[in-house]
Amino acid sequence: MTSNDMDYLTIALPKGKLFQPSADILAKIGYTAEGLSEKSRKLVITNEEKKIKFIITKTADLPTYVEYGAADIGIIGKDILLEEGKDVYELLDLKYGFCRLMVAVPQALLQEKLSDYAHMRVATKFPHVAERFFNSKGIQMEFIKLNGSIELGPMVGLAEIIVDIVETGRTLKENNLIEIAQITNATARFIANRVSFKMKFDRINQMVEDLRVIVESGEGK
Amino acid sequence: MSKNEFVLQIPYGTRDFLPHEAACKREIEASIADVFVKWGYDEVVTPTIEYLDTLTIGNGREVEPHMFKFFDKNNRTLALRHEMTTPIARVAASRLNEVELPLKLSYITNVYRYEQAQTGRQCEFYQAGVELMGVPNANADAEVIALSIELLRQAGLENFQICLGQVEFINGVMDQVNLSPKQQQQIKQAMVTRDLVGLGEMLDNTELTNNAKDILKRIPLLHGKEDMLKQAYNMVYNEQSKRALDNLTEIYNLLKGYGFEKYVNFDLGVIRDFNYYTGMVFEAYTPGLGFPLCGGGRYDNMLSDFGTACPATGFALGIERIMLALERQGLAVVSTKKDIYVAWQEGKVLDAIVQAKKLRDEGNSVELALWAQTEKTAEEYQVSKGYHKLVYIG
Repeated sequence: MTSNDMDYLTIALPKGKLFQPSADILAKIGYTAEGLSEKSRKLVITNEEKKIKFIITKTADLPTYVEYGAADIGIIGKDILLEEGKDVYELLDLKYGFCRLMVAVPQALLQEKLSDYAHMRVATKFPHVAERFFNSKGIQMEFIKLNGSIELGPMVGLAEIIVDIVETGRTLKENNLIEIAQITNATARFIANRVSFKMKFDRINQMVEDLRVIVESGEGK
Repeated sequence: MSKNEFVLQIPYGTRDFLPHEAACKREIEASIADVFVKWGYDEVVTPTIEYLDTLTIGNGREVEPHMFKFFDKNNRTLALRHEMTTPIARVAASRLNEVELPLKLSYITNVYRYEQAQTGRQCEFYQAGVELMGVPNANADAEVIALSIELLRQAGLENFQICLGQVEFINGVMDQVNLSPKQQQQIKQAMVTRDLVGLGEMLDNTELTNNAKDILKRIPLLHGKEDMLKQAYNMVYNEQSKRALDNLTEIYNLLKGYGFEKYVNFDLGVIRDFNYYTGMVFEAYTPGLGFPLCGGGRYDNMLSDFGTACPATGFALGIERIMLALERQGLAVVSTKKDIYVAWQEGKVLDAIVQAKKLRDEGNSVELALWAQTEKTAEEYQVSKGYHKLVYIG
C-alpha cells in the first residue's frame, strides 16, 4: 500500500501517448525522479529526496489505482475517466492530449439520421460512454467491447458502426469511415484520490496551483 | 458439468469471516458497543428486510438501483436495508410522541448495497452508528462528531482526520449569486461527483460576475483550520452562509472541550449528499485507506417524510474499513484467548469435566479433550493449538 505513508506522495502515470507530456509537465513543477521513463523496468520509481513515488500503469487501470488510494494522484485522459466512472477528484484540465470521442460508420452504411442506426452493433473500447450517449438519444444499440483496432470491426462484419477516439481523423479516412456524431472532447486531467486530497491537502493543492500557472501560460502543450 | 459446481461458492459481494477475522470484528464491535453505552446511546435492532417504499421515502430514485429487492406473498416489493438511518427514522417517527426527547439511538449491524464491491465494502457490509434526534443545536452535532472520534480511538486507530463541512454554506452562496435552480443542480452535481474541471467549465458559461465564479470554484478547496474559516467569512455576505460558518465555529469550540480539535479540519468541500443533509457534514479519513472510514451529518428534514418533523444528526462508520485500516497500519491486536488444554487418561473423563468446569469458572479459556490421550499426545496437541498450559488428568 504505497499511499499509506503520509510523507510520500505517490503519482500514477499512464503508459502511452500521455506519458511523456505528463512526466514533462510534472518535472516543470519539480516533481520528477531519476530513471522515470516509460520503458523503466522498475515498477515503482522513487525520489527519496523529494519524497515522491511514481508508478506507471496501463491507461485504463489508472483511475482504479487512484480510486483505491494505491496512488494519491494521477494524470489520465478524460475519455478514460468517463468510461471507468471511478470516484476520484478531477482537479485540473491540463489541456494537452486533445482528442474527440466520435461515432463513425463506413461510407456504405451511411444513414440520414442517428436514429436510423438503432439496434446496429457498435464496436468500441468505450462501451459505457457509448451506451450512455445512445441512451440519452433514446436509441438502443448492441455494444461490442474491443481492446484495440476498432476500425477493423466494420471491415470484417463484426459491427456496423464504431465509437472511438479520434485525434486527427486520418485513421478513420484511411479506413473509409465517416464521422457521424461527436460524443465529447477529451484532454488530460489531473486527478486525486478522495482521501489523499484531504489528508495531503496542502501538498496536492500546491501542485494544482503550480500546474495551473503552467497550463494557463500555454507552456504545458 | 458437475452437479455440485456451485456448492462452494457464495453470492457476489458477500464474504466469510473466518475465526481470526471474526475475532477481530467481534473485538472492534465490542469496543464500539461499550462506548455507545458509556455515552448514553440505546441500541436498536430493526428488521433486515423492509418495504421498498419505506426505505426510499426521502431520497427516492437515487438509492433504489443499488438495493436488493424481492416480493412478499402479496407482491409488495421488499428490500434489504441499504443503511440504518431510514429504518431508525421510521422507528423514531412512530415513537416520538411517547418518549422524552432527545432520542439517542445506536446500532451495529449489517446493511446491503448492490454495487461494485470495493475495498472494505462488499455488497453486504457492517456499520455502526448513532442517530441523535430532537436537538437542533451545535451541542448535538459536536457530540456525535466527538463520539465518532472516540470510537476510532477506542478501536485503536491513532492517525486519522475528520473533515467538517456545512452544506448551508454552499446553498447560501448559490442564492447570493442568483443562479437558476437548474444551474444550482448542475453545480451541486459537479461538486458531489468531485468534478472540479466540470464545475469550472460550467461556471465559465454562466453570466455570473468573476467574483461569484471565483467563490464557487474555491469552495471545494476551502480546507484548513480556524484561519481558513476567517477567510471564508470574508468571501460571503449572505446571512445563510455566515450562519453556517458560525455553526462550524461553535461546533469546533465545543470539540475543544472534548480535547478533540486536533483531529478536526474544516473542509467546505465535504458535501456528501445535498438531498439529505441540511447542516454540518463530516467524514473521517486515515492514511492508506482510499475511502472514508466514517461519515455523517445533520438531516433535519428526513423525519418529516415519516410524518413527524424532528431535527436529527448522526453518523455511520464502516466496521470492515476500520479492520482494514488497523491491519494496514500494523495495529491489529487480536489475541484469541487460549489458556488451558485439559486432557485425560482412559476412565478419567468425569474428573476432567469437573476440572475443566472449575478452570472455566475461574475465567480461563479451556478446551476439554473429547477422547482419552496419552500425556505425550496431549502435549503435542496443546502446543499445536497454541494453548499456554496443559492440565493432564491421569
